[in-house]
Amino acid sequence: MASQDDEFTMLFQDFYPSLCRFLECLLGGRAPLAQDLAQESFLQLHRTAWGTLPPGEARFWLYRVARNMAINEFRKTHTRYRLFDRVVEAMRPAARNPEQEYETRERKELVLEMLQTLPEDQRTALLLREQEQLSYREIGQVLNISESKVKVDIFRARAALRERWSRKVKVAGASVS
Amino acid sequence: MNCGFTEKISSLIDGELSPAEAREVERHLVMCAQCAETRADFLSLRSQIAGFEPSLTPAVQNRALAKILSMRSRERQPAAFGFAWKWTAIGFASILIVALSILLIPSKQPQQVAVNKPAPASSPTPAPTIAPSEAPRPQQPQQPRRKPLVREPKPGEQFAVNSQPQRSTEPQPVRPADAQTMTALHFEKAETLLRAFRNVRLNEPDSANEVSYERQRARQLVYQNMMLRREADANGDVQISSVLESLEPILLDIANLPDKPDDAAVRVIRERVERKNIVGLLQVNSTALARALD
Repeated sequence: MASQDDEFTMLFQDFYPSLCRFLECLLGGRAPLAQDLAQESFLQLHRTAWGTLPPGEARFWLYRVARNMAINEFRKTHTRYRLFDRVVEAMRPAARNPEQEYETRERKELVLEMLQTLPEDQRTALLLREQEQLSYREIGQVLNISESKVKVDIFRARAALRERWSRKVKVAGASVS
Repeated sequence: MNCGFTEKISSLIDGELSPAEAREVERHLVMCAQCAETRADFLSLRSQIAGFEPSLTPAVQNRALAKILSMRSRERQPAAFGFAWKWTAIGFASILIVALSILLIPSKQPQQVAVNKPAPASSPTPAPTIAPSEAPRPQQPQQPRRKPLVREPKPGEQFAVNSQPQRSTEPQPVRPADAQTMTALHFEKAETLLRAFRNVRLNEPDSANEVSYERQRARQLVYQNMMLRREADANGDVQISSVLESLEPILLDIANLPDKPDDAAVRVIRERVERKNIVGLLQVNSTALARALD
């Protein structure tokens, strides 16, 4: 049992941060909620599927469960969590390097803003590709869709983001000049 | 975005095109400035999204892990208690069976003897006639009864005993097949990575982005490579183990490249890949594995 816990700990250390990142992007930057859902996904894995999944499958299982949880959250009322998240953000200790922190936050907010303009399925597929480096086949496995749909979703997401990005840059350029 | 190749560029940067298709798109990219720009934009988007840092502190992570493990151990306790109760109940039930069989045996035994009598032709001696007498009751019930009590529950017990190890051993016959699937997928991914790494054009402005992406992929593959190599060693699969073993240092080299690697470092790795013919080796083995799985 101890070695099972060790293995679980290893898996947790490897994938908890990336699962948090995935959920945070999916949920539009609601970090505390993302961390809770990531923790809940791991807890479910430990309770139900740990030890029965073939090696390497646990990761896909986690993303599938986490994504379903995120979708459930979309369906719930958003305001309560947004308010809570803002309170948590406000309570967070100040950054050590404020300038750097400001830049990082700006960049993060921009990425999140762009991602939020995408439909949920395209956003999820793109995140799994760009952040988790899953292949189309693996993404299809996680989302339970065909590889061709994954391919189309990712392409559409990229094309849409590219267009919005260039529009944003143009607007920024115009305001500077 | 009017060029017919735009969608293929998306697949190209994901390493999802066949080598022939990839070559075709690469050739087109040299000629079409619009598509080259699209590719650069897609790669830039990639680095923005992949570079997103989660708002996570080590303290939060450690707390989450501690919480999961503690909740799990709390859940285990009542389970162990229930398990102990189950065994106590089984113990009581077996004592009850012993008591009942002691009471019922005197009426059943003559029947058993009558049945046993014709069957063993090798024992014509009327030994059982001694048994039905009431005098040896305290002796007789103990010996033959213990036998059935020890023997009869055995099949039942075997189910109970086997049902647990079977569960734990159940994944074992499944695992090798899954490990094979994982290895085949891993070979495919590594092959795609090495091909993409080979195709990075070092003189272009996006090359740093591309290299950093391949580096991230390599980091993920290194971990999986180690796991699969351990699995192959445990299963005694020498061939797969040796392929994984020769792949590992190359993945490590790519994974350990600095943020802005100089061309020479990239070239050295490429030369090693070529010299060891890793791409060919991976292709042959992934095809063989895929065939075996079919």
